[in-house]
Amino acid sequence: MEKYPVIKTLNGQRYFYRFSRNQRFQHIVLALSVILLVLTGMPLKFHNAGWAPYLYKLFGGINTAPIVHKAAGSVLLILFIYHIFYLAFVIYKFQIVPLKIREGRLTAGMFLKLLANQPLVPNMNDVRDIKDLFKYLLFITNKRPEGGLFTWKEKFDYWAPFWGMVVIGLSGLIMWNKVVATKIVPGIVINFSIIAHSDEALLAALFLFIWHWYNVHFSISVFPMGMAYITGYLPEELMIEEHYEYYVEVMKKAGLEKEIRPPHGSHSEVSFDEAGKQ
Amino acid sequence: MKLLYVNEEIFNISIHQKVKCEGCHADIKKIPHDPVNKVDCLIECHIIEPSSEQKFSHKDVDTYVKKSVHASVDKYGMPKKYQEDMPTCKNCHDEPLYRPLSFFKQVRPGISDTALGRCRVCHKKEEFILRFYNHVTTRLHRTRNPINIAEVCARCHDDPLLVERHGLSTRAVFSYRETFHGKAAGYFNEKVPDCLDCHVNTGESVHQMMNHTDPVSITYKENRYKACANVECHPGASPQFASYKVHAEFNLEQSPVQYYFTLFFIILTGGTLLPLMVIIFLDLIRRLFPDAVIRRRR
Repeated sequence: MEKYPVIKTLNGQRYFYRFSRNQRFQHIVLALSVILLVLTGMPLKFHNAGWAPYLYKLFGGINTAPIVHKAAGSVLLILFIYHIFYLAFVIYKFQIVPLKIREGRLTAGMFLKLLANQPLVPNMNDVRDIKDLFKYLLFITNKRPEGGLFTWKEKFDYWAPFWGMVVIGLSGLIMWNKVVATKIVPGIVINFSIIAHSDEALLAALFLFIWHWYNVHFSISVFPMGMAYITGYLPEELMIEEHYEYYVEVMKKAGLEKEIRPPHGSHSEVSFDEAGKQ
Repeated sequence: MKLLYVNEEIFNISIHQKVKCEGCHADIKKIPHDPVNKVDCLIECHIIEPSSEQKFSHKDVDTYVKKSVHASVDKYGMPKKYQEDMPTCKNCHDEPLYRPLSFFKQVRPGISDTALGRCRVCHKKEEFILRFYNHVTTRLHRTRNPINIAEVCARCHDDPLLVERHGLSTRAVFSYRETFHGKAAGYFNEKVPDCLDCHVNTGESVHQMMNHTDPVSITYKENRYKACANVECHPGASPQFASYKVHAEFNLEQSPVQYYFTLFFIILTGGTLLPLMVIIFLDLIRRLFPDAVIRRRR
């Protein structure tokens, strides 16, 4: 049996493969370093706030917290670079090489098409899903959006920190190495770096702690915490709720057509369950 | 209200404890006295300066101040506009600032006993140590916390009326407090520069502070980087480094580019978070009424 089957059954409950061990490891390093960065950065941004000195003191105050901040920032930057190489490697080994073998050649057009078809690249299905989400949220329909392998929410959660890391990482490096940096760029760039670093960081922190945490922690579907980031597997009911289109696809591929459950939120689900009990 | 008595307890621990009344109130010759002049710190005073054997005076300090940016007269000796706003000695040097070293330093307070042992060989009286040695050494040490220095400057340089009236470009201490230097100072880091570290030429006294338009001033555009490049601060700092705006207030009038840059991030933040929070809000409501729907899907 393969190590990570796409569908795993545990105690009568079906689980669906989401994240490889490498990806889960990357996420945990990302999460821990970001939390540490926020905790050691915000007391400086909001230095006048009442809570700031207490929080800062937890990390050793002005003499130590900046060192913790830089250390965590370095970890995050290394992770970012690692991720880029990881991505390039995975795409090359599992997509480009097989494509070359299959087609016997690789044109620029094929390459671009391959990039555009990466699972995390936004596409028209996301537009459809967002439209459907609002129809659902505004009580117009009781059908939840379809949702493929990665929904628009997950793509947002991926690209927002991606852009954030570029902005915050670059501005952070400039401020850290300001003497070297100003041999190339004028000093005013440091002013812009401070604004970009601190404002983008606030955006990132709010985005993660409100939006991302709502989706993976606080929403009643997952409360107290979705476990996929540790186990790598998503339980069937969450799969149905968020990734129905992909769920159906995977079930069909596994030859489980007959056991495909109806979409979440539809009324037939109740009768289906009750029918199942009888 | 004017206090007409001298608090002995306070006076006896002050730097002037050994000075007799007439040391400062020099025009009082008899008691009860006639109406008197205000005390002038610049008169020849109570001590003989040992190297020159002249009576000591703070007059030289005043001559420096008169040439400095803080002078009440311009370089032609004519009174400046709003002369009354210019600081006198006591605007900066009032008593609370003359707290002993131990008040501020978090390291072991007081003067080194090893050093004192050397003094005691010649200067038999403990008074020497209490008054003269302290007097000298407190000036050699950095006795004040950066934030304390900034507070002194802020009395005038953050006063909106004075800032406006003298056409100053920024509330100096407010903008300092927004830099890393100022924030670190607020967290009681004593190594960060305060106002004086960047506004006083190396090897000179605060009393010789010059206007930034004066080519001899450390804050003159071409000289500025020298303050940054101090070996204890940012060695190797280039003139480009010093084009960093230390006292920037990011408002539309002063720095429009920074203002719009900041505005971009505010809009980006609001534009990202508000729609997402609307979705969260709607989602919470939707989950309260999972069965309610306008058009049921068949």
